[in-house]
Amino acid sequence: MKNLVGVWVLAMAAIAVPAVAQNGLPLPSPVEKELAARASNVTEVTLGKNMLGFAAKFMDGKDKDDEAAKHLIEGLDGIYVRSYEFDKEGQYSAVDVEKLRSYFEAGGEWSSIVRERDKKSGESTDVMMKMVNGQPHGLFVLDAEPKELSIVLILGPVKMEDLSKLSGIGGLGVLGDLEGNGNKNKDKDKAKGPKAKGGGDE
Amino acid sequence: MRKFVLIPICFLALAVPVVVLANGVSGGFDQVVSSIETRYHVHADRIPMLGLVSLVAQASTHDGVRGMHVAEIEDFHADVDGEELNKLVAEKLGSGWERVIRETSRNGGDQTLIFMRPEGSRMGMFVLDLGGHEMDVVQMSVDPEHLREKIGEYGHRD
Repeated sequence: MKNLVGVWVLAMAAIAVPAVAQNGLPLPSPVEKELAARASNVTEVTLGKNMLGFAAKFMDGKDKDDEAAKHLIEGLDGIYVRSYEFDKEGQYSAVDVEKLRSYFEAGGEWSSIVRERDKKSGESTDVMMKMVNGQPHGLFVLDAEPKELSIVLILGPVKMEDLSKLSGIGGLGVLGDLEGNGNKNKDKDKAKGPKAKGGGDE
Repeated sequence: MRKFVLIPICFLALAVPVVVLANGVSGGFDQVVSSIETRYHVHADRIPMLGLVSLVAQASTHDGVRGMHVAEIEDFHADVDGEELNKLVAEKLGSGWERVIRETSRNGGDQTLIFMRPEGSRMGMFVLDLGGHEMDVVQMSVDPEHLREKIGEYGHRD
């Protein structure tokens, strides 16, 4: 009986943890396939470890911003961006956003650090962090606007103070907002700090 | 008179190996283009004397760009499944190439694929763009250092 329970627990864990592609990046969640079918435009940017390492070689070490970005991307395992553009509002729902969010949260390694909801505009931002031995080892940003949904996934050791330096890279503009996120004066719901896993969720 | 004969001979001696070399190293590129022709029943126009054009581009960019391969497909009216096209290109390009950017529209009419691969100190770039019933396929080898300098020239200065 104990064996059966063990098998069942392992099977559930395998289902819950997002599947990982050959390049080490998680495979898109099933919700993303549905979103892609509804979106008028889908943009994907995938930078694996090899490509990031190669790009780092050509960043200008003399420029302060470039130096910080170079230092940051050298250690990363990958950067993955997906942007879904829709013809009109309402082509995705809050349920889709929650499904995307829970796909990453299900593994248990990701903790919610920012959760922002603007009830008037329907915009929302989720930021989750992956902690390994107490150190940030991944960042997930889900930015939802009425006609656009953007996902940014950064895997590897992440320095929060250097993140905004990556905002110049195509599709990562949302990272530039993270720095100033605390100054926004909106109707919002936030939980800060990696310990606040699931905190702020109502 | 001899001089006039020597000029075309020298020109051919220079151009032929360039064209042959340019076509020879483009195994992945040619395979991708011919697979697209077969799959979508289209005909790709190869630019004549592209080897020479590539040589000129190499000289004018001070070796910033080299090994150019271009194919243009006009009157592309086939229905395209983005997933299938992406798979076809990735398969035929061969190993070492990583897809960096993919942009696709719902009806399949617009597709952009950018693949890259490190080639020593240079970067191989493969770009496929489909839009307005025309598909352009380009492959080249760029010097990122040179490219960064050039981009810097047009960048914002405080």
